[in-house]
Amino acid sequence: MIELTQVHKRFGQVHAVRGVSFRIEPGQIVGVLGPNGAGKSTTIRMITGSMPPTSGRVSVDGLDAVDDSLEVRQRLGYLPEANPLYPEMSVTGYLRYRAGLFGIRRSHRAAAINKVIDRCWLSEVTQRRLAHLSKGFRQRVGLAAALIHDPPVLILDEPTNGLDPSQIAETRSLIRDLAGDRTMLLVSHILPEVERTCDRIIVFAWGEIRADGTPDYLLSRGRATIVLEANTPTPEALVSALRALPGVSGIETASLDDGWVRATIEGKSRETDLREPIARACRDANLLVRELRPSKESLESLYLRLVQDEPEPTGKSKPGATP
Amino acid sequence: MTACWHIALREYASFFRTSIGWVVIALYMLLMGIWVARAIIPGEPASLRAVFQTSQILLLFVAPAVSMRLLAEERRSGTIETLGTSPASDWAIAFGKYFGALFFLLTMLAPTGLFLILLEVIADPDYGPIATGYLGVVLLGMLYLSVGLLFSSFTQNQIVAFLGTLFFFLILLLATTIGATTLGEPWSEYLRILSLGARMDDFARGVIDTSHIVFFIAISFWFVSLTAMSLEFRRWR
Repeated sequence: MIELTQVHKRFGQVHAVRGVSFRIEPGQIVGVLGPNGAGKSTTIRMITGSMPPTSGRVSVDGLDAVDDSLEVRQRLGYLPEANPLYPEMSVTGYLRYRAGLFGIRRSHRAAAINKVIDRCWLSEVTQRRLAHLSKGFRQRVGLAAALIHDPPVLILDEPTNGLDPSQIAETRSLIRDLAGDRTMLLVSHILPEVERTCDRIIVFAWGEIRADGTPDYLLSRGRATIVLEANTPTPEALVSALRALPGVSGIETASLDDGWVRATIEGKSRETDLREPIARACRDANLLVRELRPSKESLESLYLRLVQDEPEPTGKSKPGATP
Repeated sequence: MTACWHIALREYASFFRTSIGWVVIALYMLLMGIWVARAIIPGEPASLRAVFQTSQILLLFVAPAVSMRLLAEERRSGTIETLGTSPASDWAIAFGKYFGALFFLLTMLAPTGLFLILLEVIADPDYGPIATGYLGVVLLGMLYLSVGLLFSSFTQNQIVAFLGTLFFFLILLLATTIGATTLGEPWSEYLRILSLGARMDDFARGVIDTSHIVFFIAISFWFVSLTAMSLEFRRWR
């Protein structure tokens, strides 16, 4: 379990993390999403005990990340974004070293190493030097090293960074396999990756949490609109016909190449179905309609909208939405 | 404690996996060989006193070359992040790195045993001063490495770590030689306490002074501890 309570981090004048709170239960795969500089990596560094929060509390399995740093680190498997390795070491040599660092007894070490070599498909390169491995294999070695002590909490920063499409698919299925009863945090700035792998998404921007919930929940927060294509002499005629409707809050129009006009109509509430009133209004105005369909905002456009706006200059954080 | 041991072993092995270990050993043997050859004079007693005295200067360059990469390389390559998020305390990291380098220094000295065999064949050496001479070299190496480790924790650049350590000891050398003679009391008295050369002369002569041994070990421990604190400061600032 990972829990952050009102965590702030300042670097001099820069307020990198602004009052972030979340709680991740065992068995959950949580994707942390956000543009570069959103405060994701700083938050991860505070969880892994690489830096303390300026204020607030970070805990892993109920242990404080600052006061009980060594115990917290014993429970963490961490794959950093850059996946740094010692180029002169062999794959097995490196895994043996990591096993030793995590206090795995000599009698259990070989079994632990074999297990992660199997899991991460490394058996063909065990004696190779890390410097001579391809990027895909290096990434797997980093993942194997993070798993060597079978940690209850796993933090993967951009785990598919630099992999080719088939390797990305393999890594994704490995991540799903690994979940089990582990707490898993997956950091990424690639939306489809998080959408496909994670049970829950936390969107970071400007050091604060902009959204937090299941992919479906996030989609339900997106704008629901109705797309209409009608044959009208001028777009204004269409707008004036629809503006009178009680449920409509906004209309955007665009002229199409073939002379028709496409209108994107936003309703005041998501629950009211505006299709029928719109169809009637068009009939009353003598406008021919060739398309009328509800449209949901994609996760991608919702995400872009969420991370766009800068926070208030006061630095007060908006409360993150809860699922 | 086990983490410290694993860090030391990895560090020691990496000297030989990369070329630096072999290069340093070869250079050290070459330069020592030249000095030993000059020290053997027909008709004179078979003594390595001059060799041990000059090894003080030789180590001044060799030890920083050994210590420069210890933490600077971890910081440059980013492996400090995986090391720092493992359950190894900053003290285990500092002492592990230090012992890894110290084991290498001992390995580097081992082939000089060849010179002793040579000396045994051609003359009848007095082993007392030779043993204390070696003890002096090891203690001096311990001190050089501990300061080098601290400088290596300040930077990502190995050259900066090397030069920092070198200048530190050159300034100390100047202060305890020229400084001690030109400055009046009480400064010259304090500087004489810090003089490494005077202590090394005692070892080369065959004198074991416990205060010298305590001096080198205590100051080395102090610098390794400073390194651990420097790592802690970097983490928790």
